[in-house]
This record gives sequence, C-alpha cells and structure tokens, in this order.
Amino acid sequence: MSSLSQFVLLAGVLFSIGLYGLMTRTHAIAMLLSIELMANAANVLFVVFAKAFGGAGQIFVLFALAITVAEVAVGLALVMLLYRRYDDTLLDLANEARE
Amino acid sequence: MSPLLTLAAVAVFAPAAAALLLVLVPPLRKQGMPAAIVTLLGSVAAVVSAGRILLDRLGAGHAAESIVTPWIIVANKPLAELGLLVDGTSATMLFVVCLVALMVQVFSLSYMSEEPPAAYGRYFALHALFLFSMNVLVVAPNLLQAFAGWELVGLASYLLIGFYFHKPSAAKAAVKAFWMTKLADMGFLFGLLWLFVQADTFRWDVPVSHELANVVALMLFIAVVGKSAQFPLHIWLPDAMEGPTPVSALLHAATMVAAGVFLVVRADPLFALAPFARDVMLWVGAITASFAALLALVQTDIKKVLAYSTASQLGYMVTALGAGNAFAGFFHLGTHAFFKALLFLAAGSVIHAVHSNELADMGGLRKKMPLTATAFTIGALSLAGFPGFAGFFSKDLVLHSVEGKGGWIPWVLLMASAFLTAFYMGRVLIKAFLGAESSKAHHAHESGPAMAAPLVILAVPALGSGFLGAWLASSTGHEYELHFASMTPITATVLGLAGLGASWVVFGSGGTAPFADVIARLDRESWVDRSWELGYRRVMLGAAAVLGWFDRYIVDGVMNLFGWAAIEGGQKARTLQTGLVRDYAWALVAGAAVLALVGGLK
Repeated sequence: MSSLSQFVLLAGVLFSIGLYGLMTRTHAIAMLLSIELMANAANVLFVVFAKAFGGAGQIFVLFALAITVAEVAVGLALVMLLYRRYDDTLLDLANEARE
Repeated sequence: MSPLLTLAAVAVFAPAAAALLLVLVPPLRKQGMPAAIVTLLGSVAAVVSAGRILLDRLGAGHAAESIVTPWIIVANKPLAELGLLVDGTSATMLFVVCLVALMVQVFSLSYMSEEPPAAYGRYFALHALFLFSMNVLVVAPNLLQAFAGWELVGLASYLLIGFYFHKPSAAKAAVKAFWMTKLADMGFLFGLLWLFVQADTFRWDVPVSHELANVVALMLFIAVVGKSAQFPLHIWLPDAMEGPTPVSALLHAATMVAAGVFLVVRADPLFALAPFARDVMLWVGAITASFAALLALVQTDIKKVLAYSTASQLGYMVTALGAGNAFAGFFHLGTHAFFKALLFLAAGSVIHAVHSNELADMGGLRKKMPLTATAFTIGALSLAGFPGFAGFFSKDLVLHSVEGKGGWIPWVLLMASAFLTAFYMGRVLIKAFLGAESSKAHHAHESGPAMAAPLVILAVPALGSGFLGAWLASSTGHEYELHFASMTPITATVLGLAGLGASWVVFGSGGTAPFADVIARLDRESWVDRSWELGYRRVMLGAAAVLGWFDRYIVDGVMNLFGWAAIEGGQKARTLQTGLVRDYAWALVAGAAVLALVGGLK
C-alpha cells in the first residue's frame, strides 16, 4: 500500500513541476518539456493503477507515448518557425493575435 | 357605362391625359406652345363633355347616375370606392369649372407669352393637372375621393402660386398658402376618418347621430375655412396673388377656393344634422364677409382688392350654408365664379398693359382699353349686386336665407358688406378706368384677341347667369322663388347703389376712404397675420424644439447608451486576450481547478 501512495505522490510531484514550469517558463522548448513532464505524470499513474488494480492501463501508456512523440514533433516544428520569425524562442513574442 | 358617365369620364380624364403627356414627354413641355395646345385640347374636350352633361341634366326629375369601382380592398371588403357621380350639383359645377378653366387658359396663351418656352409649357402642364384634380373633386362619389381631389388642387395651387419661384416673395407666398391650407386640411382628414371609424362609410349622405354629425361637420368646416379663405385662415389668399393673374382668376377666385363651399353643398345631408356646426359657419362667414370687405377698401394693388373681395364673397356663401340654405351658397358660387374670373382676367389685361399691379399706375384706361373697361365694369356691377346682373340674384338669395338667423346680426353684417362691396368696387373702377392717366397708363393699349375673347365670353354669364336660378334649383332639387318686393332685396339694392354713389362722391374727387389709415393699419399690421406667425414661431417651433430635444437626448440618448455600452464593454473585454500562452495556461488551470472543486463539492 505504501508503495502505491508513494507512486501517486511521485505522479503528483511530476505534474506540479510540469505545471509550474509551463506557467513560469517563457522559452518554447522549456514549456514543451514541462508539458512532457505533465503527460508523464499521467503515464506513471496509468502504470501504477494498472499494477495495483489490474486492467488495460499499461496499453494506454504506449498509446500516450506515441501521441506524445507526434506532439513533440509538431511542437518542435512550431519552435523552429518561431525562431525563424523572431530570431528567438521566447513564446511571448508571438502575441499579434490579440489585436 | 351610360353615355352620360362616359362624358363625365372624358371631362375628368382628358385633362389628366394632357397633364400626363406633358409630364412624361419633357421635350413637348419645353417647347412651350405645343404644350399649351395639348392642355387646351384636353380642356376643350372637358368643356364639351361637361356642356353635353349639363344639357342632359336640364330641368328636374333626373336621378343621379354613378359608377364606382372598389378601392383599398382589405379581406375581400372594399374600404372605399372611386368613381364618378353625376347629378345636378356636380354637372353644374363641372361645367362652371371647365368653362372658366378653358377661358383662363385661352387668356393665358397671350398673357404668359413673354415667358420662356420651358416655363410656358410648365404653366400649361400645371393647368391641366389642376383641371383634372378639380374634376376629380367635383365628381367624387364619396368623401375619400373628394379628399384626394382636394389635396391635388392644393398641390396645383402651391405649384402655380410659386410659378415665379425665382422671386422670393412668390416662393414664400406658395409655402404660406400650402402651410395654411394643409393645416386646415387636417380637419378634413380627421373628420372623414372619424366618420369612417364611427359610421363605417365615406358616403356623402349617411344617417348619423347629431353628436357625430356635429363633430364631423366641424372638422370638415376647418378644412373649408382653410381652402375657402375664411377668417382667421384667410391670410394666405392675398399673398397667393403672387402667382400669375390668370391663376388667381381660376384657382384663387372662381374654382379652387370655392371647393370648400362645394364640399359643404355636397355634404349637405351631414351638415343638416349638425345645427351647431351650421351656427359656427353662419358667424364665421358673416365675419369674413364684412372683415375682408373692409380690408379690400384700402388695398393699393388691384389684385389684392379682388383677393379680399373673393374672401368676402366666399364669406357670403359660407353664411348661406350656415343658414341652412345650401342652394343659395351654391348659386352664389356659380355666379361668383363667372364674374370674379371676369374681373381677374380684366385686371390681368390691365396689368399686362401697364406692367404694374398698383392702382396708382393706372387711371383713365377707359379710353385706351374700352373692351377691358367694359368687361371690368360688368364684373364689378355684378359683384356689387347691381339689379339685373348675375350677382344681384344670388346675393339676394344669400341675404334672404340669412334673414332672422343669429339675431339678425349676420344679416346686418352682410348688408354692411354689400355696401362696402359696391364702395370698394367703385373705388377700383374710378381709380383704374376713370380720372387722369398716369405715366404708365399713357402707353397702354387694348389686349389682343386671345385675351379679349375670354373677357367677352365670360361677360355673358356674368351678366345673365342670374336668370338661371330657377332652372338650377330644379336641377339640383331645391325650391327657388324671387322675393323682389320684400325688405331684403330692396335694402341690398339701395345699399349697393349707395355704395357706388358714395364711391363716386369720395373717390371721384380723388379722395381716400374714410378711416383709411385705421383700416390700412389693421391690414398692414394685421394681428391675424401676426398671431399666426407668433403661433408658428413661438408655439409650434417652440414645441418642435422641446420635442426635438426630447428626441435627441432622451430617445436617441437611450439608444446611444446601448451602443456606447457595447463598444466600451468590447474594449474592456478584448484586453482579456493578451496573446500570451502563459495566460491561457493560467486560464486553463484555473478552469480545471474550478471544475475539480465543483466536482469535489458534489
């Protein structure tokens, strides 16, 4: 039991670190990394709960990993475009849409 | 459709076709003379038809003929009808209107010949429009069509008074005439709407209660006061003399201003049920007759003398209508149309010769213009009620019908007016045609045949139409008898002759009218004019300013407040969109937190 709560705590810590990073960082790559951390917190929970209570949760982790890879590919492409346009990867620069 | 109604349709639509043609084909209108020929052809067709109708209606025992077509159909039920109604009254009126119109148009051929072709054509196009409008009114089978014709003649009057629109005074006079008559026409509109609401009909002869008849009759009478230039709405008529003289002869003497009288004659069944409205008419007519006659005495402009005289004579007719004798009013309308048109055309002939409206510029024209002088004298004697002339018979009938009404006061006022009428007509005759020649009159010469012929033709009915009274009465289904031996005609005749004699004594030696200064001040500083102007400037414009303020700041203000709130709200709301991904992430987290909280609380 104690190991389960420790893993859930781990997932919570991972998610919180990711959220904190997402909201404080300004560089696009750092924000992408933060999002990855949050996604992995969910993956940890999938595995832990599947181990503890059974079920097909681990399959979802594989799916989630695949989707995350695709997402990162898109995200990095966006970062590339951002850099080309503004010569930097500060996401705050891309705020023209507010007008 | 019977032959009679076909003729009536021709009388109405021939001028309409002429007007339409001249409106739709500007090159024809702008040529001048061809336009005049088109209008004259229309008028000749109308006169011939009207004359044929009148011959057919000779004598008593003819039933009214009418044809109507449904109009304004709502839910398969026509609200009103358009059509032609031919009876003794409309047949007579139609002929009088068409004949005078044709005479005036022939006269205008020469009188207006100095106008540029485009203006000449416009003038005749407007004449065709007027004749059509007037005929629509005359043959109207119900109040609604009469109202349509009524407004159309008002429009024609406005356009023709303002014919010399480049002259500011003419433009102002046109607007004034329009404004005053439209103000009065509201009475017509509300009267016929009220009648329709209460009695569900626009018919002339609908049996209604006394209360309703009084209300509707009074409302209609307001319109009559405006159109027929009765006190206190008479002030537009003298100003309307800014129009060409033949226009004054046709619209503002013979026909259009008499439309008010014609309306009451037509709506006689309604007015018969409205004793109070008749009392009002009796007094308004008598006051107008005497007041206008007094003012006519001091006018220096020959047309203005005739204008006030017209208001005065219309006052006679209205008094007769108020006394309950519609036939007397109608008879006087007919004779007046002839002799007043004759007077105006003769005055036009004089004005054409001396190039001035002022009596001071005339004088001694008897030798230079014998025909015009004779015509004017016939008209003046007829107007003054000289025995044997047309005006004598109809005026006596009017005076006779007023006997004993309203405590004899209206009768006394009309008698005084009869004296004044002879007095001021004598003044015009002496000043214009007798006495010494002025410098302008020196070069005057008799007008050409186009102007002389209408004078000769109109002089015939101005002399003789009085003898047609008995026939007219039987055609319109009224009683008629002459009362030569009674007090009224003798008094009137004596007063008329005394007026002529007095004018010879006073003006023959170059004097001025007694109290001329007082009357002139009454006219120039006219408190009637003043109070209308005050009413307009202070009351109406004041009320308009208040309403305008309310509209601008309260009604518009509320709407502007909504607009302003939307714009300001939008400005505030758009700052929420920062374009920063971090902020959206915050919003996302906050939303998730709220949802988690809500879910947790459940």
